[in-house]
Amino acid sequence: MRGHEEHFRKQGATLVAIGLGGREYAQAFRKETGIKFPLLVDADRQAHRALELKKASLLHLFRKDNFRARKRAQRGGHRQHKLGKDPMQLGGSFVFGPGNLDIFVHVSETFGDNAAPEAILKALQPSAVSTY
Amino acid sequence: MTASYSSRLATITLPDSDGKPQTLGSFWSDGPAVVVFLRHYG
Repeated sequence: MRGHEEHFRKQGATLVAIGLGGREYAQAFRKETGIKFPLLVDADRQAHRALELKKASLLHLFRKDNFRARKRAQRGGHRQHKLGKDPMQLGGSFVFGPGNLDIFVHVSETFGDNAAPEAILKALQPSAVSTY
Repeated sequence: MTASYSSRLATITLPDSDGKPQTLGSFWSDGPAVVVFLRHYG
């Protein structure tokens, strides 16, 4: 997703990431990747709980889509550094707008179930966000 | 009626990687924000 920050910015959007890992891991990640966008630490799971983001079960590890997602990530040169406090916690991707408008919502159902950056970019098109 | 995802987050304040507190709603108060919840840093 971080490779698309520039595209998001061109559409007038700010990219923000939220993770469960501690601040030291967030700092190391920033240093290693050189990312400039805000990386927030939800150590107490306040934001995760507020959105009721889902959790995976051990069975999800053996799903074919998880296997495919891991292969896809490896091919993309991504490697997993440090899991958050809860390895079973799933994530999500959202686009929010002024007036607390939900423009795009993708809540992960299992490992590797991430929103396509293209779908997010489509949600940022002027015609899609013109309601606010 | 269920509150929007964004309104549930808007008043929450989290520290950034430098420890500076950031109120989430401030990121989309003037324009759209892409908010991504990561499983891990990497």
